[in-house]
Amino acid sequence: MRTQFKVGFLTAAAVLMSIAAHGQCPDRPASGSVVADAPSLMSQNGTLSATFTMAQSVDVYGYTHYCYKYASGNQIIEAPTLRLNPGDKLGLNVVNQNNPQESGMKMDMSQTGMPVCGDTGAATVSSTNVHFHGMNVPPKCHQDDVITTLIQPGSPGFEYEMQIPSDEPPGLYWYHPHIHGFTEFQVNGGAAGALIVEGMEKFRPEVTGLAERVFVIRQQFLVPWVPGPYELTVNYQVAPFIGTMPIIQMKPGERQFWRVANATLQDFLQLQFVVNGQPEQMEMIALDGYPLSKTRMQNSIFIPPAGRAEFIVQAPATGGTASFTTESVSTGPTGNFDQGQTLAKIQLTDNAIGWHASSAPASDSSRLKFSNLADQPVTATRKLYFSEEFGGTNGPIQFYITVDGQKQKVFEPNEPPAIVTKVGAVEDWTIENRALETHAFHIHQIHFKLLEVDGQPAPNQDLLDTVEIPYWEGNGHPYHTVKVRMDFRDPNTAGTFVFHCHILLHEDLGMMHKILVEP
Amino acid sequence: MRSVQFLPCFVATTLLCCFVAGSPLVAQTRYVVTNDDTGFPLPNGVSFFSEGSNGALTLQGQVNTHNWGIGGGYFGANRVVAANDGQEPCVFISQAVSGNIAGVLVNSLSLGGVVSGSTNDTGTSNGIGLAVQGDYLYASFTDSNTIGTFSIESGCNLTFLGDEPVSGLNGGIINAMATNGTLMVTTFTDGSIESFNIANGLPVSNNDEQLSTATVKSNDGTYANQVQITRNGHYAIFGDTSTGLVLEVSDLSSGQLSATKIFGSSKAISASNILLSPDETVLYAVNTQGDTVTAFWFNKYTGSLQYGCQSGPIRGQSQSWSYLVNAALVDHSGSGGGVYVAEFGSTSGIALIRYLASNGTCYLHEDAASPFLDPNSTALLSIAIATSQ
Repeated sequence: MRTQFKVGFLTAAAVLMSIAAHGQCPDRPASGSVVADAPSLMSQNGTLSATFTMAQSVDVYGYTHYCYKYASGNQIIEAPTLRLNPGDKLGLNVVNQNNPQESGMKMDMSQTGMPVCGDTGAATVSSTNVHFHGMNVPPKCHQDDVITTLIQPGSPGFEYEMQIPSDEPPGLYWYHPHIHGFTEFQVNGGAAGALIVEGMEKFRPEVTGLAERVFVIRQQFLVPWVPGPYELTVNYQVAPFIGTMPIIQMKPGERQFWRVANATLQDFLQLQFVVNGQPEQMEMIALDGYPLSKTRMQNSIFIPPAGRAEFIVQAPATGGTASFTTESVSTGPTGNFDQGQTLAKIQLTDNAIGWHASSAPASDSSRLKFSNLADQPVTATRKLYFSEEFGGTNGPIQFYITVDGQKQKVFEPNEPPAIVTKVGAVEDWTIENRALETHAFHIHQIHFKLLEVDGQPAPNQDLLDTVEIPYWEGNGHPYHTVKVRMDFRDPNTAGTFVFHCHILLHEDLGMMHKILVEP
Repeated sequence: MRSVQFLPCFVATTLLCCFVAGSPLVAQTRYVVTNDDTGFPLPNGVSFFSEGSNGALTLQGQVNTHNWGIGGGYFGANRVVAANDGQEPCVFISQAVSGNIAGVLVNSLSLGGVVSGSTNDTGTSNGIGLAVQGDYLYASFTDSNTIGTFSIESGCNLTFLGDEPVSGLNGGIINAMATNGTLMVTTFTDGSIESFNIANGLPVSNNDEQLSTATVKSNDGTYANQVQITRNGHYAIFGDTSTGLVLEVSDLSSGQLSATKIFGSSKAISASNILLSPDETVLYAVNTQGDTVTAFWFNKYTGSLQYGCQSGPIRGQSQSWSYLVNAALVDHSGSGGGVYVAEFGSTSGIALIRYLASNGTCYLHEDAASPFLDPNSTALLSIAIATSQ
């Protein structure tokens, strides 16, 4: 639900005014042009080192851009795709060149007794950090910690250093800022990019030899937190409701391997590949960066905010027409209506290009992390639920995720963990939605196995890191639920991290809590 | 200044009533009135709906008040009240963007006074709530966090008397007010509740400000929103904004608010708007963030509440409206016969929810003719009953 926060509006207005004079982000492609993949940065000899500079600017339409800039020679690249292999080391230096905000909202993350990672001071809309969404890496300072890591404007640089686990599932992940209270602003501005763990062809040989495309679908509101029209973009190219569409090039009849990240603030995507007016079957390869145990054909793919889908599409023969679309999704009486629209037109051309993955010998999927999760004894069960309350049309609004039996409260950075468990635990969590809008559950650091939906066995038992729970339809209807299996066996999970709704407004307003995994 | 927006049928109806009754003096028309809460650039106004014998509403017209509302805000802050200036019935509405209160003469359906409080009084973020007691009108300004006191003058005019600055214990904003005799009870957005003595017009705190029990127990997950006071002044009943359906009752018989007792049901989300029946046996709870109305049995001797019944889904949620908000009684006696409920949304309207009870069982259902659209509002939050003399 988007709401009319006066404070948010004033803050946003102040931000717009203060940064209007700074044009620090690269220009973004015009609508109607050919969609290009973001340039890739590949690991060399087991290491990928890069420096990202977070910056901001306002475009001619008034949209505030937040960008991850990477300098490649004289060229500035925005949000490159990071490509790593299992076992590689990632070294990412992040410099924050956002404008310092002397006024407006602040959130004090440096509470007494809290550890500090990076810079000190209050978090503001200009502070930043990085979350490596979906990666099964430790929640430690300089790795994937979002609770205490703060990179303030003017900071000379903050080093992320982590090793990709050797059993990390190959697939599509993504990175984005995760400053509590302000994540939506920077992601709305476009600060998000793809991260690929290579090796999909080892587990899903169907993709071998296919041209690969990486599409990051983002969403931009003119002013975050204020109701109004939004735009979806495909690799930064606006897909207007009316007007000239982005163009994706394919060879006639060509099969391509598409890797699509839903990096929107709140849009639930219902993707279709429409050929000659009819939704075409797509061959599902992976979800949320985890290869499916076997492929399946679907003519529609649902991706919640923050989710990813990897699949094979086939272009029509010469003379045919095709488009890439998202269908309308109702997210409930107090949710937003996610309008269906065309994301891109398919242009058939013999000159279409794409990344071609090298072929590699097949690997045993039992070597993948979480592969035997279904067979593990469960050490604990828990129930959590989403709920909301509205005291007026403009708020106050409270968004909660609550462990059953605990008090409903919004997240505070210095709160104690809502859940404490130990390394080695395997837990089944039932997550219920008692709100009148759909929510998207996400937990950091691990994938989970989707066991049940509404009390019935999930047909595909996929491994995910984000899952939607539909809205409550009201009196007389049961709450919708999912049951998922959480795997804390890996010692890398030791530490404190968060679970939350990945509708970013909800996350920023506290629909989030901590879990502590004791060593 | 007369409004020119009345339909010919209203004139015909009025004439017919007068003719049948034999004298214009005894002709009364009971209206459901709205604060249309229209914002800039369209002028705000009060829409008058007459009731048919079956409870069906017919829009008779709108009195233009030539100012601006905000079309939103707190659910508990009631923006329209009926009163009497000593000579004739009035309707007062708050207009948050303009920062004033407009009076409308019900007999002539014309505009009376438009009056502001102090220069400090503002409610542009979340509205201005209203309550009436005798010759006084009280306004809760949600930005300045003040209660303005006005005396009601002839011609549905007001005279500003003064301000009382208020605040919740944790910095909460003034929200709903209820009055009865010398008592006023208020709610704040942080879950605080407080009573005031209004015997001399201006509210004086009874020094009983406290967090409601549900607020304390839920760790801010629930807070009292709207409030009602029983006729004998013994109990204050609070409808809570909550993720469930939570009601609270405080014993006021000592002259101060006691710790509230909680009554709840998980069968709906929020009860930010509540209304007690004329015989005080039924409490209607509007499930603000949902699509139902729930009735509770109220024991006015013990202050206890017991779940009674719940309506089915009220038509049009999310397609036409987003929230169910303020309620008004269908009948002025007994159980009230049900409630009219404001539907907030781009297609604002008024739902008619009928109440029936038999052998200890009650039923709530939406009338087949419901809802009755208010074409003058896209953000209807508040309705009331006013009767011409």
